[in-house]
Amino acid sequence: MTSFGRYTSAETVGYSFSQPTSAPNKEHSFYPYTDNGGSTLGISGSDFAILAGDTRSVAGYNINSRYVPKVFKIGGDDESGDGAHILLSVVGFAADGQALKERLDAVVKMYKYQHGKPMSVRACAQRLSTILYQKRFFPYYVHAILAGLDEEGKGALYSYDPVGSYEREQCRAAGSAASLIMPFLDNQVNFKNQYIPGSGEGHALEPKKAEPLPRETVEQLVRDAFTSAVERHIEVGDGLQMMVITKSGIEEIYSPLKKD
Amino acid sequence: MVGKDCVAIACDLRLGMQALTVSNNFPKIFNYAPSTYLGLTGLATDVATVSDLLRYKVNMYRLREERNIAPQTLANLVSSTLYEKRFGPFFVSPVLGGINQTTGKPFICGFDSIGCIDFAKDFIVSGTASEQLFGTCEGLWEPDLSPEDLFETISQALLSAVDRDALSGWGAQVYIIEKDKVTQRLLKGRQD
Amino acid sequence: MEHFPEAWGRPRNDIYGPYDHSYLQTTGPKAHTQSPAVTGTSVIGVKFNGGVAIASDNLASYGSLARFTDVKRLRVFGDSAIVGFGGDVSDMQHIDRLLNSIDIRENYSSDGNLLNAKNLHTYLSKVFYKRRSEFNPLWNHILVAGFDGDGKPFLSSADLLGTTFSAPHLATGFGAHLAIPILRRLFPEDTPLENISKEQAVEALRECIKVLWYRDARSLDKFSIATVTKDGIEVKEDEKVEAQSWAFAETIRGYGAQVN
Repeated sequence: MTSFGRYTSAETVGYSFSQPTSAPNKEHSFYPYTDNGGSTLGISGSDFAILAGDTRSVAGYNINSRYVPKVFKIGGDDESGDGAHILLSVVGFAADGQALKERLDAVVKMYKYQHGKPMSVRACAQRLSTILYQKRFFPYYVHAILAGLDEEGKGALYSYDPVGSYEREQCRAAGSAASLIMPFLDNQVNFKNQYIPGSGEGHALEPKKAEPLPRETVEQLVRDAFTSAVERHIEVGDGLQMMVITKSGIEEIYSPLKKD
Repeated sequence: MVGKDCVAIACDLRLGMQALTVSNNFPKIFNYAPSTYLGLTGLATDVATVSDLLRYKVNMYRLREERNIAPQTLANLVSSTLYEKRFGPFFVSPVLGGINQTTGKPFICGFDSIGCIDFAKDFIVSGTASEQLFGTCEGLWEPDLSPEDLFETISQALLSAVDRDALSGWGAQVYIIEKDKVTQRLLKGRQD
Repeated sequence: MEHFPEAWGRPRNDIYGPYDHSYLQTTGPKAHTQSPAVTGTSVIGVKFNGGVAIASDNLASYGSLARFTDVKRLRVFGDSAIVGFGGDVSDMQHIDRLLNSIDIRENYSSDGNLLNAKNLHTYLSKVFYKRRSEFNPLWNHILVAGFDGDGKPFLSSADLLGTTFSAPHLATGFGAHLAIPILRRLFPEDTPLENISKEQAVEALRECIKVLWYRDARSLDKFSIATVTKDGIEVKEDEKVEAQSWAFAETIRGYGAQVN
């Protein structure tokens, strides 16, 4: 009978089937991202924009495939992408990139069906930012670049961070070799650190003005940037996919890169 | 960076403690013979220690041998000096550039912090902006540049690279080394 | 006398301290797969003239234990697609159930099952991506073999993160390290498919399975091999690795019969 008083409340008796417990929340060890490597690059001109990316897909030191495109047509009529007037490149986690591309593609299509006119690049750029920011606390792990022609027919290029910060730029490199390519682009596209010879002494020396480059020059710069990146970055290689958007449509150019 | 019968070596002038800039006039290139230069990036105290230690060793070499040290010899001296501290290394990654006075041939090489030599035919980069430098050098460099073109190439490569690195910049110093002439130039660059 | 029957047969609280119920918890976080339990190893696949060949061994391991030695990891879907599963076997069976229900639904529809391998791969990769986004992944890496919408041979992969990629030859798990180099040597990546016969492809896969049996500790000498062609699917599920030669092991210390 002495034990009687000890078990007066369910708390001390402990029904195994209803006992509330407070085990500490277990840490999830599953990591939902991977880095599929590669690099992308976009440059805009006066009446065109170029988006390019290498076609290698990696997982660690393994090459998954030598041909996985990173540049996509957005808002095309069918799977072939015909009729599209916007380009998107995504680099980082390929599955997120694929999902993001498909969402933006659907948005641009719906816009056309609902408004009876194609979505402007400016509107699409803002929408992409919103899509990325909606997943602010479980981001699409990608660096996106959007390209097209603006209302005046000039090349338009927008670059994004994974959570939707964006900016219109003349040129942008993204992905694993971005730090190799970007300073080269500063120098060769925006003529950073270049001055007009004989224009003055010391501080009076006049900086070389950045002007939109002709298409041939830009294409060659893209090739040079990638062949350089291939030499020094193991995740970049296999193939170069270039998409050129002009008022007459989108042209896709594929050329091989070193496969080592 | 190697050109036709010439070598260029260049560095930025910033000294910082992480994000804080401590000095904007801290050259990282040291002269060890009339046509042999060594650039040191990394921990500033080790930059000073290693450069002084090598100064001492090179002076002793010159007294004993009664001749200047060749770049190849200096490379091996640097390597063995660094490897002596294999398990408590100097936090530096040197770059060596020079012309061998006997052969008249350009010579460059780089090292990791424990003395592994990286012989290269084209260029060597090191420091916090090394990725950016790899990109610009690989994009701008071509074989057999004349001293003037080599100066332009190395300057553009360095300035563009350090402008994309928050921890480098504040002007630059460039040495163009020819067989019997060395030109030193100071580049202003961005001051931010 | 202890009057509370729920306390009978239990450690006495006054002696052993309050009973720890945490292992019986019914609330708290929902448990998800954090790591695979019973697993299958490599699946390997290669395209050939007019179809695709795919193979995997019949083992399901529990850690280092060879737990089930007669598990069929190639699953036939419809009359022109095969899915090969690597990774968790229970998740494989879950996906198998999904595929069964789709197959039944499709067969009841008025125009029969029209889903080709490409559609199937798209579906499965989205299942994987959805589950990883819920932090409740299906722990598999799969290969899908068959034909695309244009009737061309199709071989593609999808994994637990929703990452997808395609190549002329693919392998999961250890196969990516051991089988891919063999397949690449036999059929260099620029070889036109017309130059690879079905017999060559099947023979190559048998050879790869043999190498995996030699060197992958979690593999088996019993395997399944299947081909998809226009004439239909051919599956053999009780194959055995033949013409084994362990001569190479003689020279390896700790592998062969050396004493010291």
